[in-house]
Amino acid sequence: MADLEIKSVSKSFGSVEVLKDINLKINSGEFVVFVGPSGCGKSTLLRMITGLEAETSGDILIDGKRVNGVDPARRGTAMVFQSYALYPHMTVAENMGFGLKMAGETKAAIRDKVEQAAATLRLEKLLERRPGQLSGGQKQRVAIGRAIVRNPKVFLFDEPLSNLDAELRVQMRAELIELHRRLGTTMIFVTHDQVEAMTLADRIVVMNAGVVQQYGRPLDLYDDPDNRFVGGFIGSPKMNFLEASVAEATPDHVVLDKIAGSDRSLRLPFSGFDRSIKQVAIGIRPEHVSLGAGAADEIPLAVSFAEELGDVTYVHGKLPAGSPVTIRSDKTRYGGKESGNMALDPSGIRLFDPDGRRLRGNGS
Amino acid sequence: MSASAASSTNATTGSAMIADLWTWRILKWVVAICVAIVAVFPIWWMINVVFADPGVPVSINPRLYPTSLHSGLSKIYTILAETEYLRAYFITIAYALLTILGVLFIGSMAAFEFALFEFPGKRVLFGMVMLSLMVPTVVTIIPTYLLVAELGWLNSMQGLVVPGLASAFGLFMLVQFMRSLPMEMIEAARLDGASHFKIYWYIALPLSKNAMVTLAILTFMRTWGNFAWPLIVAPKPEVYTVGQVVGLFNAPYSHQTVDVVMTANLLAVVPPLIFFLIFQRKIVEGIAMSGTKG
Repeated sequence: MADLEIKSVSKSFGSVEVLKDINLKINSGEFVVFVGPSGCGKSTLLRMITGLEAETSGDILIDGKRVNGVDPARRGTAMVFQSYALYPHMTVAENMGFGLKMAGETKAAIRDKVEQAAATLRLEKLLERRPGQLSGGQKQRVAIGRAIVRNPKVFLFDEPLSNLDAELRVQMRAELIELHRRLGTTMIFVTHDQVEAMTLADRIVVMNAGVVQQYGRPLDLYDDPDNRFVGGFIGSPKMNFLEASVAEATPDHVVLDKIAGSDRSLRLPFSGFDRSIKQVAIGIRPEHVSLGAGAADEIPLAVSFAEELGDVTYVHGKLPAGSPVTIRSDKTRYGGKESGNMALDPSGIRLFDPDGRRLRGNGS
Repeated sequence: MSASAASSTNATTGSAMIADLWTWRILKWVVAICVAIVAVFPIWWMINVVFADPGVPVSINPRLYPTSLHSGLSKIYTILAETEYLRAYFITIAYALLTILGVLFIGSMAAFEFALFEFPGKRVLFGMVMLSLMVPTVVTIIPTYLLVAELGWLNSMQGLVVPGLASAFGLFMLVQFMRSLPMEMIEAARLDGASHFKIYWYIALPLSKNAMVTLAILTFMRTWGNFAWPLIVAPKPEVYTVGQVVGLFNAPYSHQTVDVVMTANLLAVVPPLIFFLIFQRKIVEGIAMSGTKG
């Protein structure tokens, strides 16, 4: 178990800056997930923690000790790669014991540790097999086993579930949570799948274009995003964004009109709204939008299609300005209507300025 | 009526197609057999001449089958016992094996660096090595000879072996192969605490086994059949290779009868033939992989 601190870390490849001034503090024993779209720099950050990439500037501290320039094998980190990177010419036992062999441990000690890790991961019967004879899930477990035997302070996972099928992925997620509970080690997990992030993480780091967008507990990110990117990235289906004009701003209210190209207006409680902002985006999740009964403040909607999943139904449509919208409409059957109205639940509304920054009222 | 006519037309077209297929198949076999005969006949003729009754030369009484096993074996025994052939055999095997080991060791270490790591001047260096592939051996043979002579390595095993160790072709082949090794595996080994050399030894080398076997075979064939270099660098009869000894048998004033010369030739062919029969699939793969005969 170890604390991990990343201080003002930047990374450039030539003239391309892929990570910009990253600051993070990960507590001992935490399960932190780095999530973001492809190319956001999350894997590069992971590789820098483990020492496979050098920092352009900034410091990385493990248990308070600066590890910049320290050999990857001596940092006390272990990594599980996306492709598992098992050595195909070695048996499972040799794969798992390779790190110990390199560390000069005796054969008996290697065997003991490998058998112990194999028991933890239910790999006892596979120890003499080669990676080519294993299924995807088994390979995954061997890769984790290889990391476990080294008894690292920090576990690093680089999109390890992305090569598995959907069912196995769910199973491996549960196994990882269980493993974390049992080992209690600090774990950092990289993924581009926000569902994976939400289900695994104690805390999530949302990244985009080399910048940490927000760092917090999964539901905090879901309910209280710092910016439009986080709001849109976390949650499935995505948060709806409706453009609106600011008609009036009083000390404790803001009135929005021309919502999503309609002539509807909305009065929201909001203390201290910045009057210089004339245009905002309303962020609202599908569960806070409902199909309306035709009240005057509802927004007209052209229904595109519906997804009836059994427990939930999502209705997808287009608003007058052409922007798409998703409505969660549980326990109803889509009657084939092509137009309708939608009503917004004001408690679920989050406002964003034209630059995508979250607008928060004073004291909220 | 018209339906039956149509079906009979269909049947005729079908049988014509089948006949076409058969003609094509038979033609292919005929061509393949002809090529095989052209390739195998010289070797068969060699066997035929060696295993012939004494006093009944094949040239006088041509036939396509051997007539005396005993006569052939006694000729082989005579050559091995009464000439320096056996010593040449050992020298050539040592020459081939040492060259193979050296080429594999040096080539794989260089390929490991070129294929998997970045270092200053990598492209220029690799370009130079590749350029050297375009220079014919005949052009470099004299400067290499002078260098070897300067080192005092004439008529020695190191004189035979060392100049052949830096194989540009071997490096090229191994680089191509090692480039396909997943970088994540190399990184995993680094995380496992393997040093640079241990990554090469425990990971890159075992994973390149196929390419190494192919290179070993191609190097064997090149070395065993090498005539020019041993001829100029090891002119002393004590260090003759098989190629040179066979050359002596074939020389205009060798005073040997055709059947004895053929026996010497046959003995020279046997090791590559055994090698080929064991590794034929690998050799074909290797030639396909390298795009050249080596």
